[in-house]
Amino acid sequence: MSRASRRGIHRFRRLFQVGFLVLFVALLAFTVWPLGSVYLGAFLVGDPLIAINSAVNGVLRPEMLIALVMLAVPLVLGRAFCGYVCPMGTVVEWASPRKRGGASARTPGAPGLSPKARETWRKVPVFVLLFSAGMLLFASGAYLVFDPLATVTRSATTLLFPFVDRMVRLLGDIAYLVPALRGAVDAVTTALAGRIVYAVPRVYGLALVALGMFAGILALSVAAPRFWCRYLCPLGALLGLVGRFGVRNRMVDADACIACGACERVCPLDAVRDEYLATDTSRCQLCMECADACPTDAISIGARPKKALYKPSRRAFVLGAGAGLLAGFFTFTGLRRRVHDPHLVRPPGTGAEGDVLALCTRCGQCMKVCPTNVLQPSLSKAGLEGFFTPEMDYGVGNCDWACAECGKVCPTGAIEPLGLAEKRKTVIGRAYIDTTRCIPWTDYRSCLVCQELCPVPDKAIVFTTDELTTPEGEALTVKRPHVIAERCIGCGVCEFNCPVPRESAIRVRGTGA
Amino acid sequence: MDRREFCRMMLGCAALGCAGGLAGCARLLEWSAQDTGTGRTVTMSGEPSASPEPTTSAEPTVAPPPAPVYPDLAVYRGDDPAANTRAAVLALGGMERFVKRGARVAIKPNIIVGREPELATTTNPEAVAEVVTMAYEAGAAEVVVFDRPTGDPRTAYTVSGIQDAVEAAGGTMKILTERNFERVEIPEGEVLTSWPFVTDVFEADTFINMPIGKTHGMAVLTMSMKNLMGIMGGERGQIHQEFEHKIVDVATLVKPHLVILDAYRIMVRNGPTGGSAKDVETPKTVVAGTNMPSVDAYGTTLFGMQPTDLDYLRNAAERNVGVVDLGSLAIEEGTA
Repeated sequence: MSRASRRGIHRFRRLFQVGFLVLFVALLAFTVWPLGSVYLGAFLVGDPLIAINSAVNGVLRPEMLIALVMLAVPLVLGRAFCGYVCPMGTVVEWASPRKRGGASARTPGAPGLSPKARETWRKVPVFVLLFSAGMLLFASGAYLVFDPLATVTRSATTLLFPFVDRMVRLLGDIAYLVPALRGAVDAVTTALAGRIVYAVPRVYGLALVALGMFAGILALSVAAPRFWCRYLCPLGALLGLVGRFGVRNRMVDADACIACGACERVCPLDAVRDEYLATDTSRCQLCMECADACPTDAISIGARPKKALYKPSRRAFVLGAGAGLLAGFFTFTGLRRRVHDPHLVRPPGTGAEGDVLALCTRCGQCMKVCPTNVLQPSLSKAGLEGFFTPEMDYGVGNCDWACAECGKVCPTGAIEPLGLAEKRKTVIGRAYIDTTRCIPWTDYRSCLVCQELCPVPDKAIVFTTDELTTPEGEALTVKRPHVIAERCIGCGVCEFNCPVPRESAIRVRGTGA
Repeated sequence: MDRREFCRMMLGCAALGCAGGLAGCARLLEWSAQDTGTGRTVTMSGEPSASPEPTTSAEPTVAPPPAPVYPDLAVYRGDDPAANTRAAVLALGGMERFVKRGARVAIKPNIIVGREPELATTTNPEAVAEVVTMAYEAGAAEVVVFDRPTGDPRTAYTVSGIQDAVEAAGGTMKILTERNFERVEIPEGEVLTSWPFVTDVFEADTFINMPIGKTHGMAVLTMSMKNLMGIMGGERGQIHQEFEHKIVDVATLVKPHLVILDAYRIMVRNGPTGGSAKDVETPKTVVAGTNMPSVDAYGTTLFGMQPTDLDYLRNAAERNVGVVDLGSLAIEEGTA
């Protein structure tokens, strides 16, 4: 088969996919304290969906030009991003049922939906976009939880890297049973510590939810190959929107076509239309599976392709837009709590709570870079809308005095990058002592761990030396801690290190409303 | 079932088996590592100079030289922290007294959190590096430096400057994980009778305690005795209750072969974490000795205090853990 179609760059598509997936995971693996000069969040910064969301919410940065370029690409390359670059697309493709060889691809019964179901589902991306736009207009970034790059980042952060951490630790533990290997194990552990393994293993509260979402996206492929990419992915829908105006795409030589339907059956993104001669340019990823399957070599790439696009009827469009706006409206009014959980503390560099909810793409990169694991995905403290946004969990760690990396990796501006000196002065909360549980206050015994470890130069925790008489009549001198409000930055070192079991006797409460 | 399907199934089963095996291993290890509340009994290797060298010489006629008399404390001052340290150790008989050829040396500086050396929160990196160098000069096989910082260990090791300094001197920094700790009985403990400790401390041939002098809200001053909290695992916050007894209990178990108090810079307020240059004074001093309470007793004078001002030093003296009466100690002072 010496076909013209076999010579294109699409022959190396697998290579592109593996390369970008490896690059993606590698960049994320290097996203640890201290960040070097390489910009590790390149993928997410180049994500047009995230960039548009940030821009509409008033965050404009020069890096967003990358996203602008990415947004223009479908004009000439279709959704090549989905087929060659997107790590989510790659994983979904691997999870999709395989088609068997060239011959059987031309036989009926290839995996997929019925023609009728396909007709229904191909309308969905438009409504995904309308729904997203509705959320965007009402300043809710909750829909970004479905951004594919954010999803992969989140899944890798909460699942892959903690898994690797545990596995390396386990292998180390096993090797440690051999005394001769202990030196080597300690050396490797030290070299990897804070990078791959952590002195205390990483935990993420919502790892199971992230796993469920990731597995769910993969499982959809059972219904049809790359079901997620075809019909549900918001980034795919956005690129497809631009792809509608594509000037270069799949072309079919109508004279050579024998209408065997092989192309339609192998098309992973359901882009073959109108008796195989036209292309849905909002779908085609230029993978050229169709050209490879074509027995008469009738398919090529060229300018002015014959397009077949889904155009929603006016009625459907208005209904969809209305539903999208309603969804945004109810997110705005219903999901968002008026009074936040008092213990909701956002990382330093975040603006008003509304900005966090509007901007955050829930990718979890800040949680990946955080050296102490204090940044955790939020379950309910910020309301349903704030699901998976970053919050400080001082039961797990504390904000490290030597670190200001979370803002530097945030692709959206939800966490502004702060210099170390600036971050050390940024107030994110305030510590309160629970004198009914604090050891010197309640048990009349010495403690002062909080005062000892308070990292601000002018200690926000001071102590008084009090002479008192216990209820048993014993005269004692006890040093008791107090918080000086205007000095406290809310870093949580005191809460994390408080020796009172279960719930610390000094707790940080968030600032603002 | 065709061959491909069979292969795939076998692969799946193998993967499942591996995962199950790993999970089982994890469980077994977890069980074996369960803290029962009682630990093993350890003894620190005695002062290396005390154990007689195996004499290969068969000359019975030569009388052994009289045991040299070393001062209890060596206090050296000067503008170079490394030179001060070297001079003080030399005055105690040189590093050869403490480190034998082929010895494994463990050094415990104070790296409580990541702060720049100028802020006097962590032990002077130049001084630590000098001790590493001297240990190698004396023939040490390996020199390991570690602490258990309160926050992230890597940021602490890096920002304190100790990581770079130690590695430049050829030493090894070790980040501690759970597997480096083991519960150890404290036979002479009155309040604290057992606790998880870093095993390296007991396995090393020479353990060097290298604190920095700082104020401390609860303990008033933190020097070598308080520095040992960094080799303790578990929930260290609990040590703070009845601290003045517990820290002496620890000192009955852990007896460093060499104690070097870095007082090149000291933190005179807002200790032990400080964070401001205005809390730092520079006595440019090193106090070296072999007994923690004695070193700490001298250390109190750098802060304008008396040894008896510290509860834990009084307790240590009462329990004969060390001499804190500076008048009865042989102190060699000098300038480097």
